[in-house]
Amino acid sequence: MLEQRGRESVSSIAQGVKQLPQLLTLLHKETPPPEEPALGFFTDTSLCIGCKACEIACKQWNQLPAATPDWSGTSYDNTQHLGATTWRHVQFIEQIERRIPAGTGQSAQQTSSTLPKLSLFQPMDSAEAIPATPPGTALPFFNSDRWLMHSDVCKHCANAPCQEACPTGAIIHTEYDTVYVQQDICNGCGYCVVACPFGVIARDTGGDGQAHKCTLCYDRLKDGMKPACAKACPTESIQFGEVQELKKNAQERLGLLQEHGVSEASLYGADDKILEGGLHSFFLLLDEPEVYNLPANPARPSNHVLPTSLGTIITALLMGLMSIFFFSNKE
Amino acid sequence: MDNTRVSETSSSTLPVNKERENKWPTSSQLPQPTLLETLAVWTTGYRPDPVRELQEKSYYDYPALKAPVWSWEIIWYFFMGGLAGGCYVLATIASLFGAKEDRIVARVGYYASLLALLPCPPLLIKDLGQPKKFLNMMRVFKVKSPMSMGVWGLLTFSMFSALTAVIQAARDGLLGKWWGAKLLARLPQRALAVPGSIFAIFLSGYTGVLLAATSIAVWSRSRMLGALFVSSAFSTSTALISCILRIVGAPVKTLHKLERIEWVNMLIELVNLLAFLRITGRAARALVGTGPREKGPTFWSMMFGSGLVLPWLLQTWLLFKKQPVSPRKKKRGGLGLIVSLLVLLGGYFLRKTVVEAGHVSSADARTSLWNARR
Repeated sequence: MLEQRGRESVSSIAQGVKQLPQLLTLLHKETPPPEEPALGFFTDTSLCIGCKACEIACKQWNQLPAATPDWSGTSYDNTQHLGATTWRHVQFIEQIERRIPAGTGQSAQQTSSTLPKLSLFQPMDSAEAIPATPPGTALPFFNSDRWLMHSDVCKHCANAPCQEACPTGAIIHTEYDTVYVQQDICNGCGYCVVACPFGVIARDTGGDGQAHKCTLCYDRLKDGMKPACAKACPTESIQFGEVQELKKNAQERLGLLQEHGVSEASLYGADDKILEGGLHSFFLLLDEPEVYNLPANPARPSNHVLPTSLGTIITALLMGLMSIFFFSNKE
Repeated sequence: MDNTRVSETSSSTLPVNKERENKWPTSSQLPQPTLLETLAVWTTGYRPDPVRELQEKSYYDYPALKAPVWSWEIIWYFFMGGLAGGCYVLATIASLFGAKEDRIVARVGYYASLLALLPCPPLLIKDLGQPKKFLNMMRVFKVKSPMSMGVWGLLTFSMFSALTAVIQAARDGLLGKWWGAKLLARLPQRALAVPGSIFAIFLSGYTGVLLAATSIAVWSRSRMLGALFVSSAFSTSTALISCILRIVGAPVKTLHKLERIEWVNMLIELVNLLAFLRITGRAARALVGTGPREKGPTFWSMMFGSGLVLPWLLQTWLLFKKQPVSPRKKKRGGLGLIVSLLVLLGGYFLRKTVVEAGHVSSADARTSLWNARR
């Protein structure tokens, strides 16, 4: 009995010794995987039909819990925003009566301050009852109302503020130049949450307390598959591929749309302007970025460090000198 | 085609819309501005215009940014960290440049610095989403991230602060008379305190830089938050030291020096605060406005009024009131105690209102989007 116990303890020590090199390898810094061409999304809102397949596919593949049902009361969008467990989010922007009938725009501006004298029900022959047809449109019953649908996602910025803010090194750029949160390292400090200018990354307060966001399906990329949302998208509104190629496609698509008279179409994040390096997940929008709650030209938070520090140092020096003056002052 | 397009909210041609529009308050219909509202308009240089702001586009007013996850732990950390750094700097200046009777400032300052520092690491760790993983903060050294630099700065300063306080304790005979205490007392405290002070200044100011290096409009727009926080750190720690000295009793001359330092510090803080509000402009509404969620009432009463302007005026009055100074006399209590307590309260409420204004600011989609339209 005693002998056996002794043998057991010896074997457990031997096991520990055997594990030692394995434990030491944890300290060893692994060589990163070789660089791959940058991958990203091109989300073309002009093709989006608002089916939300991307939202569901993302939740399914990444095993994210369903959001607590909440009735927004504003549109078909009850998800409302991206979050720790919502990495794709379809916006429904309802633009009803957005155009002033041609010719009456001026008078409407002038009379807007006075009380309206129009009754709710007007005779059908009234000129204002039916909007005048904008020039160049063939349809007789042209309707200016529109629904803009937009599948929002992490922008995978080339200079990602969340990555720059992260104090643990949990947030990295992967070999595909996507922005990825290493869950084993993140300790939920919350600095990335306020650093992100798009309000994307969030801390999972109800869950593990760590920061979560779109991974661009890193696990699928490793196996040579498309991200789940791009795979599920039935209209190719979400396109996945190499960023360089996607940007070329986006320019072509923009040219085609403008050729067909959609003059309001524009690309968001496809050039290098936003955050001084552009976005690897960029968009084709049909209105100003603000309509989609996207910041037109956000500042890069890490650029604030130097000027703010300078002001801090000047103030500290001034106060220190004043204190030195008063302490050394012999009356 | 484009020029005929107007925003959703301003489409005023249809009767239904017109009726709705007239329910909105126009600038002329607004109630008479209150005192706080007038102050807010003066200091920020921005007159709120609800009619125009409603015409700005956003997505159903859903927040364009995520709300900060920081609350009371961080507020207390900012306050205590500022005190720890400021007390250390003031103690060092007193020991290097002060007269013989000013040594009590150094002694009290070094102890106060360590005591204020002690709750900081637990507060920071408690604030994490995964407190048990706090050691991951020490994986990297990242100059670009103020939080990473803050971790290393706090760690370094803790060592300096602890060592300086232990030397002080050994010299004051608090550690007994064994050989270890004698050895400690002989260590060069002043030579340690100079590099220590650099880290002390860092600790009292970096918290403002940390908030400024975010996307939250009220924190980041002015790039002035670091200067504001460091000036508040200095004035609150001068107040803390003079508060303690007035309780335990100290030479009148030393107290008089501290009073004048406090007066200058408050003045610099006031200038920084006004510059911060003016440059932040519209984004400062979250801090100074009197709207439903805005922090104006607390800010103006607890921070600006009773925490800065009132103690500064009291201090001015005390300094002008000539008192017969007998150099050997010790003094306790007095009106100066109240001034110091008010300054400390103001310093706490500055951190509280600024952090909470960040929450309000992040929820205001229109101001966030306006801030990003450069």
